[in-house]
Amino acid sequence: MGIESAVLQLRRGDLDALSTLIGRYQNRVYRYLLRLVRQPAEAEDLFQQTWLRVAERIRSYDTSQSFEAWLFALTRNLAFDHLRRIRPSSLDEPFGNDSPDDTMISRLASADPGPLDQLLARERTSHLVSALENLPVSYREVLSLRFEEEMKLEEIAIVLVVPLSTVKSRLRRSLERLRWILETSVGNEVRE
Amino acid sequence: MTRSDEHAEIRKQFPLLAAGTLDPNTEARIAVHTATCSSCAAELGRWQLISGGLRRLPTPQPSPELYERTRAMVAAHLAARAEQRQNRLTLILLVFFSWAVMLLGWPVFRVVSSGLISVFDIRFRQLWLLFATFSALTWLAGGSAAALLSVRHRQQRRLA
Repeated sequence: MGIESAVLQLRRGDLDALSTLIGRYQNRVYRYLLRLVRQPAEAEDLFQQTWLRVAERIRSYDTSQSFEAWLFALTRNLAFDHLRRIRPSSLDEPFGNDSPDDTMISRLASADPGPLDQLLARERTSHLVSALENLPVSYREVLSLRFEEEMKLEEIAIVLVVPLSTVKSRLRRSLERLRWILETSVGNEVRE
Repeated sequence: MTRSDEHAEIRKQFPLLAAGTLDPNTEARIAVHTATCSSCAAELGRWQLISGGLRRLPTPQPSPELYERTRAMVAAHLAARAEQRQNRLTLILLVFFSWAVMLLGWPVFRVVSSGLISVFDIRFRQLWLLFATFSALTWLAGGSAAALLSVRHRQQRRLA
């Protein structure tokens, strides 16, 4: 069953269609939730709430739009509501704003590129995951949507409900911040 | 633009280039620059290492029973909601039924019992007492029917 027909059938109240959609998107939705809330138990709870919300609100989904963007926007809203309730401080804005002019490039320019190369060659995955977890949630989600979900900038803008220019600047800042964290952690390891 | 400005301008684009979100013209301009500038090419390589790493991050797997748990939870919620809707509808219909029986039944009751009223010489206050009893019985019948329907529906759901 294709996504479109599953959506249409779910709108008619067919729960088997929901099973199809869960089966198709479960890994991606769970991964996105885990990137946002970081705790597997919370991610699993939100996962269930997400699909309940999908079943309840499927009639409000505009079929001319991307289902994926609608699904991830819904997932994001639930995750942010949860974070606002449980850990409001985790939603604090990262330093600086989303203005494209204010960048971290100058800070990165002074970093020694050598250790970063070594680090990424050696223990790339574990360091990247740990660096990713140290990013503010608004940076983690944009990186996850772009690199893991492989969404286009336009789709990310729909999910985040922000203009395209904001998505671009946030993506650049999140990459710069990630690199800065990676290089800082390498610097600390070298000093230790 | 001086040579150092050009480097800075080009390097500013590297994060978005590594994310694959630049337009083809800008990408081509950067490619021309990095073809002749080894330090910018090396810097771009570092950004691409990061973006490549992000693309290859392992996908965390949800627990195997999460799928079944979610499906069962959604089905139970939707069934409970449907039952609530059905109960509400039944209640509305019964209220209408009770009012209809009460309002339409009263004239009939009057006509049928007119003989009795004259025989027992029932006064106006007692007449209202009869009316109240009749209404109470009607509502009681409606309420009992609602309760019985609800119990039957719940039993059917449990069997299903």
